[in-house]
Amino acid sequence: MTLTTLVFKNLFRQRVRTLLTVLGIAIGVATVVALGSITEGLKGSSGEFIRAGGADFMVAQAGASDLSFSAVSESDWRAIAARPEVDRATGFLLEVADVGSNPFFLLFGYEPEALPDEPIELVAGRLLAPGAAHEALLGGEGAQALGAEVGARVELDHTRFDVVGIYRTGEQWRDSGAIVPLKTAQELASKTDVVTAVHVWVVDGMDAHEVAVAIEREHPQLAALEEPADYGDVDQGFKILDAANLAISLLALGIGAIGVMNTMIMSVFERTREIGILRAVGWRGSRILRMIFLESLTLCLIAVAIGIVFGAIASRAVLLIPAISSFLVPSYSLDVFGRAIAVGVVVAMLGALYPAVRAVRLSPMEALRYE
Amino acid sequence: MSERVICVRSVSKSFDDGRIVALDGMDLDVAEGEFVAIVGPSGCGKSTLLHLIAALDEPDDGSIEVAGHELASGHDLTHYRARHVGMIFQLHNLLPTLTAEENVQVPMLELGLSRRERRFRAKQLLSAVGLSGREHSRPPELSGGERQRVAIARALANEPPILLADEPTGSLDSEAGQRVLELLEELRRTRGLSLLLVTHDTDIARRADRIVRMLDGRAAPTVRELEPGRTPTRAVA
Repeated sequence: MTLTTLVFKNLFRQRVRTLLTVLGIAIGVATVVALGSITEGLKGSSGEFIRAGGADFMVAQAGASDLSFSAVSESDWRAIAARPEVDRATGFLLEVADVGSNPFFLLFGYEPEALPDEPIELVAGRLLAPGAAHEALLGGEGAQALGAEVGARVELDHTRFDVVGIYRTGEQWRDSGAIVPLKTAQELASKTDVVTAVHVWVVDGMDAHEVAVAIEREHPQLAALEEPADYGDVDQGFKILDAANLAISLLALGIGAIGVMNTMIMSVFERTREIGILRAVGWRGSRILRMIFLESLTLCLIAVAIGIVFGAIASRAVLLIPAISSFLVPSYSLDVFGRAIAVGVVVAMLGALYPAVRAVRLSPMEALRYE
Repeated sequence: MSERVICVRSVSKSFDDGRIVALDGMDLDVAEGEFVAIVGPSGCGKSTLLHLIAALDEPDDGSIEVAGHELASGHDLTHYRARHVGMIFQLHNLLPTLTAEENVQVPMLELGLSRRERRFRAKQLLSAVGLSGREHSRPPELSGGERQRVAIARALANEPPILLADEPTGSLDSEAGQRVLELLEELRRTRGLSLLLVTHDTDIARRADRIVRMLDGRAAPTVRELEPGRTPTRAVA
């Protein structure tokens, strides 16, 4: 018999109560995991897009509420491209288009002349022909979602396009969308003479960070994004998601702690006499404390394990919605699981604190007299 | 005369803000290996005295010294409880979810013994109290007498020199009570324990080396005293 044996036996003497507490905490943890993996996934695919095609960084409008609302004037784009330390600067327009039943189809407007330099692998057909206004390239997943092949005619954002090629880039956003000529995309979005962002490749041997800093200094209305963490500078939505994530984690923590405290208080009250016996046979207060904290921790870690599985299933279930699966792949990073475990451990400690202190403060005789 | 192991001097204890006086200047000496029975009417302070000697409660006044340990207020007495006294209650006070063997092992967790050593010692103790083969039974699966035997084995788990028994046969039928008492006497004889036993039952008290009668929270004049090991010849009134 060990302390752990006693901990498990104590927990499972009131199976229904333990199960309900575990379930309550597991739901909180599942919410943290699901939201966390979705947020991380969004950040991951956004970060991937910052360096799309091997670009050193991406320049967009500083402080935009969302990347699709970012506007970089063509003059700024040309100025960046003309810098001696810049090898290539490719501007593009991102339009969230209404395509069929999917209101979040991503439409990319590129100058057809720039496409040969983009690391786009053609799976079928050809690239856009210069001057052809209504030709479209479909990403592999985009083509699958639309059920379209080369030669087909598709309606993107209420405009018909001839599919001339199917491509693959390995990036979630571009592969699930379509590429159309920049001018056409600007007309569809009613954004003449502006692009959403510019991917920048610096000349070999130049320090990309220094170039990014110089661009930001000379164009204060623009932000140069070098790392996924910078994405929040041009998409306030990420800050809102992070805040929501934190708020839900804190809420799960508070609700979980109250649930665990309730269970542990009931459990300790019911066992007051037994705690008196343990003190009478010579158990130190610290061992009683350890027993109660271990019970709470075991309860919470079981809940965390179940919550992680529930959370992962929930975030995968979201992908069954095609509109979401086009731009989101949940990311199950250590950070997400670490946060779930941290919630569980903090809940366990908070929930056990009062009952444990109460149990230790009782004199053995006081506890033995307890009815 | 053997060495004195329990020395209680002028001990007072009251409850309910002094309204209930349990002990009022109690004195008691117990020698090493001695079997002392404490008798007296309900509420005379017998159990309170035992609880104070077991360091389960603290006296309001006076001093208690057990096996060289001054049981002063404010001292950490867990080590004393774990190693120097074994307590047997009227109700067995076993942990219901644990088996007999696990219950006996509970006090041993404080000793730092290995798991194997704990199991070995618990099996030996259960065998000594006649419960071989019942190691894996839980308290609800045992009879009253068997539960009390497990409680005795638990009290002996850390090999204390002093055994304190508070009405150990009080909740048992006469046959089971008789067997428990015989067991306590045998253990005391074979292990050289000092046994301080609280009882209402004069037949049980007669088996002790010495009887201390309590009245109104203090020791009444002793009816007779015997050297340890001698057979009593006269009953206590």
